[in-house]
Amino acid sequence: MFEYFLLQIPSNFNNFPHYSFVIETTTSDISELQLVARLREKDKAALELLYNRYSGALYGVIKRVVKNNDIADELLQDVFLKIWNRIDGYDASKGRLFTWMLNVARNQAIDKTRSREISKESKTGGLENLVGKVDKREFSEQPVDSIGVSESLLQLPEEQKFVVEHLYFKGYTQSELAEEFNIPLGTIKTRLRIAMIQLRKFYQVN
Amino acid sequence: MKTEEYISSGILEAYAIGELSPMEMAEVEKIISVNPELKAELLRIEIAQEKFLSELAVAPPAWVKDSLLKKIDQAAPKAKVISMPVRDSINIWKYSLAASFALMLMASFMAYYYRNKWIESENSLAELLAQNQRMASEYNTVNQRLDKIELDIKVVNNPDFKRTIMNGTANAPSSMAYVYWNETTKEVYLSIQNMKQLAQENQYQLWAIVDGKPVDAGVFDSNAAGLLKMKDMTGAAAFAVTIEPRGGKTSPTLETMQVIGNVVKG
Repeated sequence: MFEYFLLQIPSNFNNFPHYSFVIETTTSDISELQLVARLREKDKAALELLYNRYSGALYGVIKRVVKNNDIADELLQDVFLKIWNRIDGYDASKGRLFTWMLNVARNQAIDKTRSREISKESKTGGLENLVGKVDKREFSEQPVDSIGVSESLLQLPEEQKFVVEHLYFKGYTQSELAEEFNIPLGTIKTRLRIAMIQLRKFYQVN
Repeated sequence: MKTEEYISSGILEAYAIGELSPMEMAEVEKIISVNPELKAELLRIEIAQEKFLSELAVAPPAWVKDSLLKKIDQAAPKAKVISMPVRDSINIWKYSLAASFALMLMASFMAYYYRNKWIESENSLAELLAQNQRMASEYNTVNQRLDKIELDIKVVNNPDFKRTIMNGTANAPSSMAYVYWNETTKEVYLSIQNMKQLAQENQYQLWAIVDGKPVDAGVFDSNAAGLLKMKDMTGAAAFAVTIEPRGGKTSPTLETMQVIGNVVKG
């Protein structure tokens, strides 16, 4: 009976016109909601499925943010452990599973870079931190290739690309970006919005 | 805020990337739950984000997955799911009947128990309310008495009030009363020290002797407590009290004089 109930949800879910693309995006054989339900039951095979499906995208973010293979490997495990342990905290009505996972991964990665900066600072004082900031700037001025070639990213105007790169791959929060590069926070928000619209066009998400 | 304005502020993109404060997040979640247009927009953003990041995916080393799965095994030693042995359906019906019966008994008992509790609480609440009311009125009485006593003390302690001691006459040798009189403000207060009980139809009447003539200063009963405010008076040389019919008279019945005292000059 329980299973029947679970199966009912996605089919109802898809009856709403705005959700008609849900099925299309969950390409593998099992739907996102089913996957979540199985994860809640602590089904290890479901975690493996989840890992196969999303680890690459998350690892791409984590690795670029922390810029260190060992730390990235460890973080990716931490992220999936967190997802495994806190799956009950995920609420499908509030957003997609990937969004939730991405938030966990991005926050963990940003926290990691912070704690490294802080430990550096506590060891050698404020000067090191200043150098760290300069490093961050230099890194940000490297060409897109260091991020990986993505046609979707390449077609964006420079200022939009900048915002997307820094928010997704360089561990900046919007307010940090605003402060460090003297861009009004509202501008950053709009640039990200316009960039996302471009990406939506590119990936034909309508 | 209008839907388009809300969308163009970029708050949904910030939500999708996990940039919002818990408060802002709660706000977005609330709004998307009631606005399907916003929900659909968020979904488009999320899907684009997902496709974009999938395109930029980097394969993690293979050992990471193995290590992860090992860690999960270590963290949670397999909680084996033991399936209930299947009994014949009659048994199940029996059990469920027994269970429902037990549940019903329990529910009835609970209903009875809590009803009694409820009545009990109703009663004690009514009792408490009544008690509270009584306390409040008692408090009021006490407060009024306290105010009166404070006023009395002010009069007694005020040096402007001259005290005249009226001692008992031959009619009532043990009677005694004081008059407190302020010459400037003309106020007169009477304090009964010892005056005998009068018949219902009679009352005491205070007189002031002004220019040799008795002037009415008001009537009082023998059981009055504390200071009694009497009529204002000027130029009194002495005070005296007579017994008169209830309500008093215009001139004193001198034979009934109970107490008298001269105002001390100075």
